[in-house]
Parts: sequence; C-alpha cells; structure tokens
Amino acid sequence: MSQSSTVPIRSLDTQPKKPPAKWRKHIWGYLFLLPAVAIFFTFLWMPIGKGIIFSFYHIDFVKGDTFVGWDNYEKVFKDPEVMVSVKNTLYYMLLGVLIGFWVPILFAIAISEMRRFQGFARIAAYLPYVVPFVVLYGLWRWLYDPVGPINAVITKLGIDPVLFLTDKAWSMISIVIMETWQSFGSALLIYLAAVLSIPRDWYEAAEIDGAGIWQRIRHITLPAIKNQIVLLFLLQLIATSQGFQTQYALLDGGPNNATLTYALLVVRYAFTRQDYGSASALGVLMFLVLGLLAVVQYRMSNKKEA
Amino acid sequence: MKTHDRGILSSYDLKKPSTKIFYFLMIIVVLVMVCTMLYPMFVIFFNGLKLNTEVNSFPPTFLPSEVHFENYQKAWGYIKLPLFARNTLFIFAGNMVMTVLVVGFASFSLSRMNVPYKKVIQYFFLLTLFIPPTTYIIPNFVNLRDLGLMNSFWALWLPAGANAFFLLLLKSFFDGINMEMFESGRIDGASEPRLFFQIAFPLSVPIFATLAIFVFSSAWNDWYWPSLILSSDDKYPLATAIYKYVINVRRLDLNLRFAILSMITFPPVIVFLIFQKYIVRGLHLGGVKG
Repeated sequence: MSQSSTVPIRSLDTQPKKPPAKWRKHIWGYLFLLPAVAIFFTFLWMPIGKGIIFSFYHIDFVKGDTFVGWDNYEKVFKDPEVMVSVKNTLYYMLLGVLIGFWVPILFAIAISEMRRFQGFARIAAYLPYVVPFVVLYGLWRWLYDPVGPINAVITKLGIDPVLFLTDKAWSMISIVIMETWQSFGSALLIYLAAVLSIPRDWYEAAEIDGAGIWQRIRHITLPAIKNQIVLLFLLQLIATSQGFQTQYALLDGGPNNATLTYALLVVRYAFTRQDYGSASALGVLMFLVLGLLAVVQYRMSNKKEA
Repeated sequence: MKTHDRGILSSYDLKKPSTKIFYFLMIIVVLVMVCTMLYPMFVIFFNGLKLNTEVNSFPPTFLPSEVHFENYQKAWGYIKLPLFARNTLFIFAGNMVMTVLVVGFASFSLSRMNVPYKKVIQYFFLLTLFIPPTTYIIPNFVNLRDLGLMNSFWALWLPAGANAFFLLLLKSFFDGINMEMFESGRIDGASEPRLFFQIAFPLSVPIFATLAIFVFSSAWNDWYWPSLILSSDDKYPLATAIYKYVINVRRLDLNLRFAILSMITFPPVIVFLIFQKYIVRGLHLGGVKG
C-alpha cells in the first residue's frame, strides 16, 4: 500500500463502522468508569455477597465447601460467648459516649475562647492522632503498668494502685480512655471550626438582652453546632460498634473475656477456630443491625446539607 | 477578619471577678489537657534514652538521669526498619496510584461526562458506604485468598481503588470546577484523558493532597489487615512488623522498645508539625462539612 493512499482510504473505511452516536459520545465516560466498576465489584460487592453465601456453608480450604443450611446461625445463637460479646460491645459503645464523646465539645468551646495560643492548644490536642496505633499499644501498656506513671501519681495521692488492664472492672474503661486520648483531637477540629464560624453578633445581641455565659452556651453555641454533634455521635457509634483492634492488641479479649467485643469474636471464630462459615454468619447478623445505623447517619447528614 | 475580638465572653465579661476566675480555671483545664497530650509524646522519646533499669524503676522518671543514645543504635539493628519502611512506602505509593487512576477517573466521569445511567452507577459505588467493613472482613479475607492474592502487595493495592468515600470527595470537588473549562478544552480537541490530566487533576491538587494524607496515614497505621494477608518479612509494612516483633514480644528490653517506637512515631509527627497548616486545612476539605 502506498503512503499517499492510506489517509483517505482509512477515513472512508471507518465512517460506516461508527458505533451509534450515543454510545460513541460516551465511550470515554464508560472507559473511565470501567476500572472502578470492576474493582468495586471484585473487592467490595463480591465479598459482601460471598459473606451471605458463606454463612450457609462450612468453609474448608482443603476439602472444599459444604452446604449446611442454617447450622451456622444455630451454632452462633447457642454460643454463650456471643451474648457476652454483644454486652461488651454495648458497654464499650456506652463508655465511649460517657468518657469520650463530650470531651472534644468541651475543649472546642474552651479553646475557642482563648485569646492566645489557640493554635498551639489545637495542635497539641491533635498530635496524638498522628501517633501510629502500634506505638499507642506499647506506650499505654507502660503508662497503665501496675508500677507505671499513672499508678505512681495515684499512690502518691494515697489511693491503692489500679490494675488498669488486668482488672476486669477496669480493662474496658482503660481502653476507652486511651482511645479518647488518641482520637478526640480530630473531632475537636470539626467542632472548633463550627464554633468559630458562629457570628459574633449573636453573642453581642444575647449579651445586650442580658443572657449570662451559660445561657449563651446553652442557647447559642450548642444549637449552632447541633448538626456536628449529631453526626459525630452517629459516626462514633458506628466506629465503636465495630471496634476490636485495640481489644485484640492490648488484651486479646481478656481478662476473662471482659474486652471480647462482637467484632473480635467474629475474628476469633475465623482465625482461631478456622470456622469461616460461622464467622460470616456473625458478620451478616452484625450487618442487619449496623446497616440500620448507617442509614440513619446518611439521613441525618443529608438533612444537614439541605 | 477579627474573629477573636469577642467570643462567648466579651471583654466586659472578663472584667467581672467571677468570670475572671472561671476563665482562669478554663485556661488551667486546657493547659492540663495540653500536658497530658504532650507528656506521653516526650516519654516515648526519653524512655528510649534511659537505661533499662531506669525505665522499670518506680516511681518512673520523666527526664533520663543519664543519656544513652546508643539505645537508638541498637534499636536500629534490632529489626530491619529500612526494609519495613520501604514496604510501607510501596504500599502507600501503589494505593495512591490506584486512588488517582481508578477513583479519580470514575469520579471525573460521574461528575463531568454525563454518561447515561449515571445514577445507577453512582448507587453501585455509594451503597457500599452503608455496609460497615467489619461485617464482611472474613469473606473479604477468603475472597482475596480465592483470588490468589495472599502475601502480595496487590491484595492491598487493588482494593485501595474501591473507596466510595474518596469517590464522593473527589466527585464533589470536580463538581465545583467550572464546566466551561472542559468545554473549551473539548472544542480545542483535547481527548478526555487529557482533560483529566491537564485540567481536572492540576485544579484538584488540594483534594488529592488531602487524599494523600488519608492514604498515607492508613498505610503507616494499619497493622491488623496487612498482618492477615501478608506473611513474610519482605512484605510486612512498618506497623505490622512493629506489632509482631516489638509489641508482641515479651523479652525485649523496655528502653529498646521505646527507642524503636519513637523512631516510627517521629517521622509522621515531624511532617505533621511542619505542614500542619496545610494538613489541617486539607482535613477540613475532606472532613465533615461544617
């Protein structure tokens, strides 16, 4: 073929083969979407679907899977540890709210009132959030040690030393304190931004009308950040309901199952007992409860934007 | 803008003695908070400088009585930190590439290319946000096993492209870019990939930087999931290696333990302190809209 003839021939050739205009126009659009669709399917929807299927199977990596019907669910409902773990998880969520939830709100309001060093306080509060979890475990094991610094202060105050990690009554509380220490800074930033964006003249007007400091906080500040409070509350519930890594790393669910959360039990079923089917069943049950929470959170955050 | 000329309290309030005391107490509380935040950070570093007997002494000391920098030398040789750091950076780089290419392309298409059935595809992505990841952690593991991805970086890289949260962030950022820029690019004959790389991407550097912070902190922090799917030293990221060889080991001396911990704490902390202005701004970009 001579070089001069290729150009017109090719352009004549391709004209009739054009796909319908609508699709041709969007071919790049779909090409751009294709990798994401493939990856979301393979690594999110497939595991999610498989989880439901696995929950009816006995999974064996060597001999292959066998269908067992509702056996996994029956087994799970008969296991007394499941009830223990549900209770522990609810307790963990409750402690998270009691010990941790109000801390960033309080400090956001306090720091917003500081006339100087506001930035410094903010950074100091956020700093632990940058510390890797594994460091946290090593550090707090030492801080919580029976002869560690916290107990040194406590004994100096004349109180008996506390076995923060090995005492059943304290272990979950200790974990929540540690996690609050680490993570309240990120919530603080969100609250602080909201508090600082409240128009100053609202306070001015309230003051002229004779509102005291508490009344201003109660009737102006808190209502103004109500959306953030609700949203972060739900996000915290969603996060703590799935929590297990700290419990696993620090105490492996002990002492005496006091920190055995539901998610930790799921992991234990799978990787300690090699019972992937029952673990999947536990996951499906968890989804039925938590999915609801996620929907509520979505409705709330959408309402906020409207 | 004078944001600090008054807050909840006005300067008139601060002249009242009762308010003054209250304000003073509040400052004390914030100060105590700042100290409890900073004390453990310093303690990680100082404990790494002490003799092992001093770390174990009661009551514990804050400043080391004698400084032993050689602890850090010993700690450096205790595990192959450079190898694990390299693995972490590998994981970060791959995850970032996946985020830009897969999530970036998809959100660009959803935001700016107006394909038919856009809504359906969008739901396909975003519905995954309603499913808490812990509920399918086990099938996810089995799925990666079935795909033969065990002990390979691909098991982390490929799923990094399946992030609906990032997709949402990027899409809403692209939505804010002026449509006419792309129209004029198209009229000038630019191909769609070129529009993405030469117009959308440069204009979205702030949001990609925010995503980079998220991706980096998860690559640096995640220890549990990599410990499940990776199983050899030449694959472990830093966090997993530290968990396996430092946290979970009983006989390692405490001072060496702290020396290693401070070596992996301080790089991100220092980076954060240097860039905190941009990072905090970036986090607001990606965080809950205030």
